Amino acid sequence: MKSHSAGAWRRFLLPGVLVAAASLSLMGCAGSSPGATHAANANAPGKASDTISWALPPATVPNWIWPFSPIADFSVTNSEMQLMMYRTLYWYGDNGKTGVDYSLSLAKQPVYSNGGKTITITLNPYKWSNGESVTAQDVIFWINMDKAEKANYAGYTPGQFPDNILTATSPNPTTVVLTTDKAYSQEWFLMNQLSQITPMPLAWDMTSATAKGDCVTNISGCKAVYTYLNAQSKDLPSYATSKIWSVVDGPWKLSSFNSDGHVTFVPNTVYSGPQKAQVKQFKMVPFTTDSAEFNVVRGGSTLDVGYIPTQDIAQAKPATSAPDAAGPNPLSANYQLIPWFLYGFNYFPINYNNPTVGPIFKQLYFRQALQSVVDQKGVISSAAKNYGVQTTGPVPLFPDSPLISQTEKNNPYPYSIANATKYLTDNGWKVVPKGTTTCVKPGTATGDCGAGIAAGTALTFSLPYASGQATIDTAMASMKSNAAQVGITLNLKPEPFNSVTSTAVPCKGKTCTWEMGNWGGGWVYAPDYYPTGELLFATGAGSNSGSYSNATLDKLIAATNTQSGTAVMQAYEDFMATNVPVIYQPNYTYSLTEVANGLKGFTANNPYGAIKPEDWHY
Amino acid sequence: MVGYIIRRLLQSVLVVLVVTVIVFILLHSLPGGPARAILGPRATPGQITQFNSENGLDRPLVVQYFTSVFGWFTGNFGFSYVLNQSVGSLLAERLPKTIILAALSLVLTVIVAIPVGVYQAVRRNRIFDYVATGLSFIFYAAPTFFLGLILIEIFSSWLGWFPPEAPQSDGVVPIFQQFPGMILPIVTLALLSIAGFSRYMRSSVLDNVSQDYVRTARAKGASPTRVLWRHVLRNALIPIITLLGLSLPALFAGALITESIFNFPGMGLLFWQAAQQSDYPVELGVVIVTAFATVIGNLLADVGLAAIDPRVTL
Repeated sequence: MKSHSAGAWRRFLLPGVLVAAASLSLMGCAGSSPGATHAANANAPGKASDTISWALPPATVPNWIWPFSPIADFSVTNSEMQLMMYRTLYWYGDNGKTGVDYSLSLAKQPVYSNGGKTITITLNPYKWSNGESVTAQDVIFWINMDKAEKANYAGYTPGQFPDNILTATSPNPTTVVLTTDKAYSQEWFLMNQLSQITPMPLAWDMTSATAKGDCVTNISGCKAVYTYLNAQSKDLPSYATSKIWSVVDGPWKLSSFNSDGHVTFVPNTVYSGPQKAQVKQFKMVPFTTDSAEFNVVRGGSTLDVGYIPTQDIAQAKPATSAPDAAGPNPLSANYQLIPWFLYGFNYFPINYNNPTVGPIFKQLYFRQALQSVVDQKGVISSAAKNYGVQTTGPVPLFPDSPLISQTEKNNPYPYSIANATKYLTDNGWKVVPKGTTTCVKPGTATGDCGAGIAAGTALTFSLPYASGQATIDTAMASMKSNAAQVGITLNLKPEPFNSVTSTAVPCKGKTCTWEMGNWGGGWVYAPDYYPTGELLFATGAGSNSGSYSNATLDKLIAATNTQSGTAVMQAYEDFMATNVPVIYQPNYTYSLTEVANGLKGFTANNPYGAIKPEDWHY
Repeated sequence: MVGYIIRRLLQSVLVVLVVTVIVFILLHSLPGGPARAILGPRATPGQITQFNSENGLDRPLVVQYFTSVFGWFTGNFGFSYVLNQSVGSLLAERLPKTIILAALSLVLTVIVAIPVGVYQAVRRNRIFDYVATGLSFIFYAAPTFFLGLILIEIFSSWLGWFPPEAPQSDGVVPIFQQFPGMILPIVTLALLSIAGFSRYMRSSVLDNVSQDYVRTARAKGASPTRVLWRHVLRNALIPIITLLGLSLPALFAGALITESIFNFPGMGLLFWQAAQQSDYPVELGVVIVTAFATVIGNLLADVGLAAIDPRVTL
């Protein structure tokens, strides 16, 4: 009976299963049909191509076109998109190195006079895509907008540009003359103040689609123009067809813009710079995750410039190789690996105003001990496959620059458990490896624990850190383990990035209870390309998360803003390197860029994040 | 029936509002807040204050909530201050993608799981049953990301049959024009469901074949095919109908992992990213859509049950 019925039901059921199987197999056949998306396209690496596809970072899409970016929309990706169409007054980054590339700049090197308080800027002969020249008025337009709406611009810092500009005039169409409230460091002014200027075409001086504005000549007229341009920049679907945004002075203009991140550029045929675009299209391609991007890039048929996630690098490169040198590349059949470092430094703050542990943090010997348990080389080797650079102070050790002092290069506090132990034992602490180190000599004399530290105080701290990144997870676990060897207990707490950043902020009083906080990214210098510390470490500075305060450091920072030359910079960084106001940790690559074999013109990554696809071609 | 549906729809509105209240409170209980999350560590206190003011985040929670509710009822779901888009346009962009992916995977699930489950029951304790049970356990236990990556490895990297990512074009029509790209995401999502549904189906058929009504039908001379078609299958589908109704929210909520692996940004990924960046308007928008889908799914399950089972009256 059972057998009989089963046989009958099988006759009934089998067709159903076959239909399902046939459906699948039909879908499978469709997959290999001509014209399917999988089919190798004309962009296959190594082949001649009219289009270059470029992978956006994971979960990142451009969403702000106007270079006058609010801080919420100030991102590397938005800057990349903007710079392709709207050139800044000066081009920062010179073939992978820091500094200004005058050959790509809209203006010649600024000339300082009147004791440094008058800056004369002469423009190069550039044209907007509507045929008008890029003139001094376009520069004044930006400065006026910045003065009127400074709170809405990401690069604004109270007391600095444009507050420090007394007058901005244009004696002729190619000359801008600025007078400042005092003399400033020429390097600082060029890299951190003039870096904020993006000349805007007169076609943007509008208060509606049809009504002209007068922001170019009258600061009070800027508000209405700001309102209009701000609204236009929020209207993402209109980007590619906008009369406003179609006026460009860069080598590219938008062909299509999708808010999901698919953006296509075509050459600006009247670009008047040194290098016109050499392909017909440049496409930005969004990705949900780096794994999704890796799945595509290893196929090798659709992306011309992508990246490989660090975790997918099978073999670490030699520790002795240069930071930007490529190691074994799993995608070498189709791509060339070019590591990309942004100009920044990685650290995490400690809270000097914490009523309980603040007194411990104020002791230099403790900070020296804590820095000594950070095994930067070990973390770079293990978690980052040697694609990382040690941080020893505020000036990045890569790319190399004259600003890097010998103190930073020598790393005053390399990883050393013995040194860490000595720093503590020499200052009144009984070190208990893998136990709890306590203060046994309270007091303020030499060799005592220091002011505000009672006998029996333990070195136990809470350390929230941004979760979700393998490198940070590894670095934190390593530090906890190393710290335990000198009896310092770090209670690690993985938290969302925004939870860490919103907690680790300047504060004071009884509620100022956070102790340490590691959001993982430290600081990237943009648009403050000169690595000074007025935003980060000056007393009361907005981004001085731990409220570090030192009169000597304040003077050194002020000097870097007002005195030219490397000596003042190195004095500042030497103080920062030896006094460790924050705990330094490795700086990792921004991206391990994979450039298609055969793609020419891609020589180096820009340390400030810009891209120049006009140089790229097959 | 009509009165019942109207009552349930009205209840649905109430349920959704309660859900939004709970979610709203939970969102605002999280440490941090959107300003610092969006503006980043370099934001000054002044910029944070301005951001909060511009986005109404400095107003009392009750005011913020009722402002949002008023917006929802007037079709305004707010503006994403992370993505610079209205929440409505974001939902319009992502929802079709999610529905296509989830609906097709559900269709595939039903097409495969029901016959497989029935056949397993019919051929219970035979080789097909063992193999299907083993595969079900494997697929049910396998994490989605693992399954997706394995399928990419085999069918994209090795065999080259399918692209490693879903169609990237905007709009519904281009997705179908580049349909091969949808195969792997659909199969990834479906395999897990097939495993679950086929087990339910097998169990349900086994429950029914031993019932008196089956014996009676056979005694009255009904053919095995008729017994299966007209009697067993209809009764065995009852729990499946409920399961299908409960699957509706997944059509709208998205499949985070599958969307991530196959570069197909839908509702799941939208919600995940919004949660990470404290993008409250987007989070609430997705919650509303998903909550509505949940209550409607339950309603449809009940109605479907009444339609297929004459013993149930509404």
